[in-house]
Amino acid sequence: MERSLEFRGIGKLYPGVRALEDISFKAEGGKVLALLGENGAGKSTLLKIMSGDQRADEGVVLLNGEEVHFSDPRDAIAAGVSVIYQERQLIPSMSVMENMFPGALPKTKAGLFDRARLRRDASEIIEKFGLPIDPTEQVGRLNVAYQQMVEIMKAYRRDSQVIAFDEPTAPLTDAEINILFEIIRQLKAEGKVVIYVSHRLAEIFQIADEIVVLKDGCLVKTLTTAQTGESELIHAMVGRDIGDTYSQLSRNESFGDVVLEVKNLKTQYVRDASFKIRRGEVLGFAGLVGAGRTEVARALFGADPVTGGEIILDGESVTFKTPREAIDHGVALCPEDRKEQGLTLQSSIKNNIAMPVVDKLGTSLFVDRTQMTGLADTAVSRYSIKTPSIDKIVMELSGGNQQKVILGRWTNEKMTTKLLILDEPTKGIDVGTKAEIYQMVCDFAKQGLAVIFISSELTEVINLADNIVVMHNGHVTGIVPRQEATEESVLALAMME
Amino acid sequence: MEKTMQKESFYKAYIKPLLRHKVFSLFMLLVALVILFSLWSSAKGAQFFKASTLRNIFNSLVLSSFLTMGAGCLLISGNIDLSQASIGAFGSMVLAAAINGWGLPWFVGVILSLLLCALFGALNATLVSKFRFPAFIATLAMASMARGLMYLFSSIGKGGQASNIAFQNDAMNYLGTGMIGEVPIGIIVMLIFFLVYGILLAKSKFGLKVALMGGNPVSANLAGINSKTITYILFINSSVLGGIAGVFNAARLQQGSLMALQTNQFTGITAAILGGISFGGGSGGMGGAFVGLLILNTFQIGMGVVSVNPYWINVFTGILLLVALSVDFLTQMRSNRARGV
Repeated sequence: MERSLEFRGIGKLYPGVRALEDISFKAEGGKVLALLGENGAGKSTLLKIMSGDQRADEGVVLLNGEEVHFSDPRDAIAAGVSVIYQERQLIPSMSVMENMFPGALPKTKAGLFDRARLRRDASEIIEKFGLPIDPTEQVGRLNVAYQQMVEIMKAYRRDSQVIAFDEPTAPLTDAEINILFEIIRQLKAEGKVVIYVSHRLAEIFQIADEIVVLKDGCLVKTLTTAQTGESELIHAMVGRDIGDTYSQLSRNESFGDVVLEVKNLKTQYVRDASFKIRRGEVLGFAGLVGAGRTEVARALFGADPVTGGEIILDGESVTFKTPREAIDHGVALCPEDRKEQGLTLQSSIKNNIAMPVVDKLGTSLFVDRTQMTGLADTAVSRYSIKTPSIDKIVMELSGGNQQKVILGRWTNEKMTTKLLILDEPTKGIDVGTKAEIYQMVCDFAKQGLAVIFISSELTEVINLADNIVVMHNGHVTGIVPRQEATEESVLALAMME
Repeated sequence: MEKTMQKESFYKAYIKPLLRHKVFSLFMLLVALVILFSLWSSAKGAQFFKASTLRNIFNSLVLSSFLTMGAGCLLISGNIDLSQASIGAFGSMVLAAAINGWGLPWFVGVILSLLLCALFGALNATLVSKFRFPAFIATLAMASMARGLMYLFSSIGKGGQASNIAFQNDAMNYLGTGMIGEVPIGIIVMLIFFLVYGILLAKSKFGLKVALMGGNPVSANLAGINSKTITYILFINSSVLGGIAGVFNAARLQQGSLMALQTNQFTGITAAILGGISFGGGSGGMGGAFVGLLILNTFQIGMGVVSVNPYWINVFTGILLLVALSVDFLTQMRSNRARGV
């Protein structure tokens, strides 16, 4: 029988918010269906209903034509529906094979754990996917891309008929994305139902057969990939034409003196990095995950110890032992992992913005609340952060607004930031907000800030940065001006052997 | 925004947030306990509401209150200290020896004892922040070492036999048993401390940094909050407060006792958690901790008044802690679900 997963009239209410309204569509076996929409459009809620994590208030889900009611994720898995979330559901301290067979470890006749067979079974699947992963390796030691592959193999091993991916490529580099797509094509060839959630339009054209566009909890359009184009999709998603985002940016044209010069920087992870950045310049950093870009940023910020080379900030040779010292010298970092490293999630917008300047809030022992509120109010209005109140905890904001909170932290009037380092600032952020953040970056440059822009999304770096530093394996392998940069030339430097 | 606020009823603007506040629900629990024990005791022909019960509750509060403040601050910052009571006990022994054996003035003894406690706290902080030991393990080890050193110290010059060190000192006696009007000195000191710590935590720059660090130490560090300094200050603070508990213990008994604060090992942490300070750090304050402390003591003394077998009191205290934690957990779950997390 033909495999399929169908939604009929799905509705979901959260207190005070309608998350989904009358969603109906059908995903068929042997096809990849992409679920597209801005943050808050309802994609995650729909996935949660699919995985049994939450229940729909209205409507039904049909698996292979039959109505199903999942009361928890185990039901869904048993019925053959697996959802692969952005947050890994793996146990980092256990091996690849143990992670692939949770709750289904093979036993010997004596009832003991059969390690040899587990290893054989796991290797078989790994080989089928053609991956260079050792089944006995600890999952925590694998890179993000391979961890994700383990998760996919786990779903595959359960003989899942429906596999849904929630923004799978967010942490991956282009090369890794290709491996992932190979695997998705393989799943498709086996007749599985693949549901693919992503923000990245280019990918959707590469991998999807059908596209369902959600907006504000409603289904806007169902499209066939072959018969649509990027502009139609963007229009459907945001309800307006973005056009060519990059060509509309109002950029900074004049650069000042050199703010930062790095000579032969070495750390535990960086082998040799040299570059310069001027006032008003946006310096992009491209490279594969693990190339050392984040590590350069951390070293500049005093978060990792420097073992060699020189950092010259405003003509003065510096070594920062803590982020505090770097901040006091005008260096700011928006870290790669917004939720784990950037924000204190359970704290208010106000608190998160004031974090580095707590000591500057008034002259007494006590916090000057008026000043604190002022900083937050300014950031909220300047960067149009969508929130009913500055006392809202940041966990409840969308990814884009969270990122704006961090930007507001580093660019408020109490800060003396001259070098702003942005590490993957648009990761997991919807198209509309991305464009806003690009313009913010250009505005920072216009105000005379030097901006380092690190991203795994090649298009973004190439089009936004004035110059692009390419890294590979801890080395800087090239610095390319935007006018000369193409995806091919940068990628060649990033993968240089 | 302004206009909708004005339109909202008085209930919504003032009463509802109060009802939702953690400290308020804790306070209600305390009231419920008091009612329970007064009914229970009158059913048994005893009397809960009498001066001696109140005095008992407050007296037993004093020692654990200092421990609660130290433990509470550390918990908010995301750390824990299991050694404060043992360190305080060592401190009280040194104090007794200073007055009795070395003939030092009492206040010099107190300062000496507290400095020693501070040193232990600094050691804890070094283990945790420099050598990256989990605080639980570092302070567990320190608890054992401090208790052992206390025995060794008390056995010096006694042929290796550890024993209590008694002393006679009027000032210390006044500190331990004196009253201002009807109120014991210890209670007054305790209330002043709670007030100062409460205000500092809720209003000061340092207090804000402590809470931010507890919420997410990684992001706090990357946002320039110097967690190392805070860790040192809070561990030293915790052990010095343990030392103050030790001083009051010695003052009350007029001796450095081998059993000092033996039963208070976990009361600080228990009261702080009962008072709504989350175990993972980042939230809670001294108001809650104070109510938590009252709940714990009312519960224990109330059980005594209605003559529950003292062994059972320990069991019930454990259950009380579990119930309090579950309620906290459930409310969190509910608010998470409401947000669709």
